[in-house]
Amino acid sequence: MKPSGAPLLPREDAREAALFFVVCALCFLAALSGLVARSAYAAADSWTAQVTGQITIRVRGGDADTARAVGLTAATPGVLTARSLSRAESEDLLRPWLGASGVPEDLPLPHLIAAEASPGQAGLADRLGQALSAAGIDATVDDHVVWSDDVRRATDSAGLMAILAVALLGATGIAVIAFATHATLLARRDIVELLHLSGASDGFISGLFERRFLMLGVQAGTVGALLAFGAAAFILFAVKQADQHVWLLPQLSLSLADGLILGLAPLLAGLASMLAAKLTVMRSLSGMV
Amino acid sequence: MRDRNDSLDDPAVRFDRVSLSYGPNTDVLADVSLQLKPGSMTFLTGPSGAGKSTLLRMAYLALRPTNGRVSLFGIDTSRLNRPTLARLRKRIGVVFQEFRLLDHLTAYENVALPLRVHGENEKQYRDNVIELLRWVGLGDRLDARPETLSGGEKQRVAIARAVVSKPDLIIADEPTGNVDEEMGERLLRLFRELNKSAKTTILIATHDLALVRKAQADVLRLADGMVSRVVVPQHAEAPT
Repeated sequence: MKPSGAPLLPREDAREAALFFVVCALCFLAALSGLVARSAYAAADSWTAQVTGQITIRVRGGDADTARAVGLTAATPGVLTARSLSRAESEDLLRPWLGASGVPEDLPLPHLIAAEASPGQAGLADRLGQALSAAGIDATVDDHVVWSDDVRRATDSAGLMAILAVALLGATGIAVIAFATHATLLARRDIVELLHLSGASDGFISGLFERRFLMLGVQAGTVGALLAFGAAAFILFAVKQADQHVWLLPQLSLSLADGLILGLAPLLAGLASMLAAKLTVMRSLSGMV
Repeated sequence: MRDRNDSLDDPAVRFDRVSLSYGPNTDVLADVSLQLKPGSMTFLTGPSGAGKSTLLRMAYLALRPTNGRVSLFGIDTSRLNRPTLARLRKRIGVVFQEFRLLDHLTAYENVALPLRVHGENEKQYRDNVIELLRWVGLGDRLDARPETLSGGEKQRVAIARAVVSKPDLIIADEPTGNVDEEMGERLLRLFRELNKSAKTTILIATHDLALVRKAQADVLRLADGMVSRVVVPQHAEAPT
């Protein structure tokens, strides 16, 4: 005779397979939402980092005014570098709107100056505008604050939505598992009562369910996280294959932070499952003498 | 198994004016008082539907009385918190009328269940469990699951499970209802041995009058919600 290793709580194959699928799907969606949230914040950081400290000055005048404006800008305290953009560089900036065929030769392009400010230069754009105006140069100074604030607001909203989706999926998962635990408890009331009358503490009985649902949550969460990883990798691959600069897509990459999200998803699924099981079993046991 | 706080003078089981009702005019038990001395062996008889199983359920702490007090080993159970109640239940072995064996466990695993609950190591109890199953005639059915056992075999597994942890109190509801006379006597001998050697208090509800006559034990009769103590002379008819 083999040593007794039989679990006190029998496996409920059909019910547990269905629950496994539900937790797996929820974990997949939650992990994907987490990746989207992470990407949205990363994209916002990347986009705003590119323009923070960058100042673009559009000069309405000739080359002489542009050269004076470059000199004036470079001499302004807080400005690190200033240089005028060549026509080719200006055409590059217009290419997304005018297409790859280029800018017509006779199309007048504004004279642009790209300047870089040292960090923490609040109000530098206003000061530059006043200095250029005082020098009689007709120019518009843009420090991209309005644009980067808009980008930040948009990506913050997207990130918040993704976090809300994760929270909602998590709450749904807990509710589903609590329901499943309750169903298991009802189906196995005979075992629970027998253990209870044999002197098993509430913690002992609850522990049986907790361990069962912890394992189920971790396993289903792992499969869901792996599927989310596969989906994210496929999207990343598809975007790279398109070989285009897709402006409105968040910056997709699989970084350490993504690995952390994917790694945490099964653990959180397991812990949520365990917690739901514990609460359900304890509440049910409190109805017994 | 006896608790340090137990007094030898305290009854193992004591019901003080215990009543149970499920609503107005639905009294199952009314004002029942009884005492079982530690180390005693008592049979509980009475007509079907008299409330014997309900009384036993209160004694093994599955039910709370509507009124009155149930004390075990001198401890008023109405005042105990859940962990203490669980510890007290470990001192009780129960043979349920409907056996309550777990279908997914073997006969051996079913018998060992209380020991697993008590946190004992299988290496320490394995031989005892096997020996006990041999003693009740199931030495060749250790790995059998309940669905493959006959009614009598299930009953013997249930009895082995109730006695395996050598509890201070054994409560049995119709423990010989599904076994033949020879096995019934054998099981009665097991209860007697436990009662004499380990001073285990035993309370058995039964309709088996022959068993009651042979047992030479105290007999309580439950009828109309009241308990009365009766004396059954050897070879005389037991009360029904």
